[in-house]
Amino acid sequence: MGLSLRVEGLEVPGPDGRVLLRLDTLSLPAGARLGVRGPSGAGKSTFLYAIAGLMHGARGRVAWEDTDLLSLRTEARTRFRAETIGMIFQDFLLFDELGPMANATLTAMFHPRRRRAPLRARAASLLEQLGLPETPRPVATFSGGERQRVAVARALAADAPVLLADEPTASLHREAADRLIDDLAELARARGTTLVAVSHDPALLERMDQVITLQDGGLVPEDTVGAARTARETA
Amino acid sequence: MEDLWYQLPPLAQDALLLVGLLLPVLLIAAIVLRGYAPGPLIGALLRRFRWANLVFVLLIALSVGMSIGLIAQERGLRIGMAQAADKFDLVVAAPGSEMTMLLAAVFLQPSDVPLLSGATYTAIATHENVEIAAPLAFGDSYKGSSVVGTIADFATYLSDDRITGHLWTDPFEAVAGAAAPVALGDTFTPAHGHGAAAEQGAHEGVRFTVVGKMARTGTPWDTAILIPIEAVWMVHGLANGHPLSAGDQIGPPFDPDLFPGTPAIVVHTSALWANYALKSEFSRDNETMAFFPGTVLANLYRIMGDVRQAMSVMSGLTQVLVAASVLLGLSILTRLFQRQTAMLRALGAPRRFVIAVIWSYGVTLLAAGTALGLGLGLGAATLLSWLVTHRTDVLVQASLGWNEVHLAAAFLAITSLLSLLPALVLLRQPITNGLRA
Repeated sequence: MGLSLRVEGLEVPGPDGRVLLRLDTLSLPAGARLGVRGPSGAGKSTFLYAIAGLMHGARGRVAWEDTDLLSLRTEARTRFRAETIGMIFQDFLLFDELGPMANATLTAMFHPRRRRAPLRARAASLLEQLGLPETPRPVATFSGGERQRVAVARALAADAPVLLADEPTASLHREAADRLIDDLAELARARGTTLVAVSHDPALLERMDQVITLQDGGLVPEDTVGAARTARETA
Repeated sequence: MEDLWYQLPPLAQDALLLVGLLLPVLLIAAIVLRGYAPGPLIGALLRRFRWANLVFVLLIALSVGMSIGLIAQERGLRIGMAQAADKFDLVVAAPGSEMTMLLAAVFLQPSDVPLLSGATYTAIATHENVEIAAPLAFGDSYKGSSVVGTIADFATYLSDDRITGHLWTDPFEAVAGAAAPVALGDTFTPAHGHGAAAEQGAHEGVRFTVVGKMARTGTPWDTAILIPIEAVWMVHGLANGHPLSAGDQIGPPFDPDLFPGTPAIVVHTSALWANYALKSEFSRDNETMAFFPGTVLANLYRIMGDVRQAMSVMSGLTQVLVAASVLLGLSILTRLFQRQTAMLRALGAPRRFVIAVIWSYGVTLLAAGTALGLGLGLGAATLLSWLVTHRTDVLVQASLGWNEVHLAAAFLAITSLLSLLPALVLLRQPITNGLRA
């Protein structure tokens, strides 16, 4: 089951002290799917990294259920991420030299020993569900779509209740992107995972329960599910 | 504590020192790797940068190999020279330079030296506890090999009685060393002198027959040809050391009055203490000089020891430089790894895990290079030893000793400690910088 998210008074300063992102309140129920859109430089990635606890100097409150991530120290946040958050990146960030299974079980290397076997079993079943071949062949030889699906398996293998995706379809062609969106939405729904996806892709945003738009480091107020529909229609 | 250390047998001391040197490496490994299984990632790094890795390993191996080769070779040479001098407990000669006599008697590099009288020889030969008092008469050569006049007992003693054929029974028979340019049954005429200055034909009409061949001893004497000292005297138109009444006697006892002289006497005694007694007895101003070749060599090593230390410092510095450049290279490579590091951190990898990956990667290269360097060092030392053996006939055998192993372990310990730096530097970068790159 996913976690709920409550953001209050979030302020993320940049290296020069200028505020990159300011967000008064945002609530997301457990298991919800949130799309984040907006022009380049609007602060979408900053938002995603901030709710993952990766932005140093972020102020305010980012609470996953009862845990205020910003009140934790660096290593505690890291531990929280290991247990709670799976992440997918635009350019996959896989280890090209390793096979799909080794990539999908990457986090087993630093998870406690007792959690490794279940993690491996889950990764294997996820790879199968995602239609990836059982091969030790390095993922460097895989297509973009296959690689991103390996990344999805990696993000979900630890059974994280939260999945954060940063432009997951931006490096894929249409067909692969559609398949990935299906997989992602389906897996998130089946597991009740809370999904936050930053994307330009209307096809992806359409599958979200809620879409917000960021602009100039702030929330554009009229965002609703309806806005997502409009986005799709104008696309 | 110190007493306890000195009570330990040398092997235990050496082994403990090795463990002590490797302890930091094992300790860091235990601390950074505990609970993690980063093997596949380290393998991925090794594969990703395989050419750079190969160059690193070779660089480290060369620097370690050079240092170790030098030390191993130097020690091999020292041991080889000591073994060459092993049979020469005590040498008595006319007063002069001990080094000159050492070179002549032990290493067969003769120079013109005054002779010892028959009285001196008899005094030594008849001294109690003296088992062998062998006069050595240098000066002749055959095809570059020294032809040395001596007594039959010396040939037996020198070769530990491993002689094919038999000892001489006639003044014009010879026993050759294993590497001498003559075979059993050959006949030869020695030249007067050595090398380019040798006078061929000076001993025209004199022919020696090789009747015995000594087994290899690993000393310069392997190239020598031994002949009865009587023959040397006779060939040079001197008395043969025996009265007419002695008939065709070869070997001791000699008549002191008919003894033409010998440049050196090699003494072997039945008891160690007797060497010291003889040394003090025959160290007489203006008459005789007695010395232990081993002591002269030890003094020589002491002087060479300074050179060795200078060499050690230089090779140590070289290693530090190589280690520094390797670490610099590692930092550059780990920067290429920055995105993956950031990704790992984003996925919840603790700092210690990232350190474990990068440190293990670096230490794998260092350990591989060090191990390869040990092999290279042994190879280099073996090659050098072969060359030295070939040129000097002093059998030099290179081997890896504790010294070299300790040196390699110390190198590995220091560099693996330094290998923590690239990881620590990398972790100072904000994670999001890496993700966005």
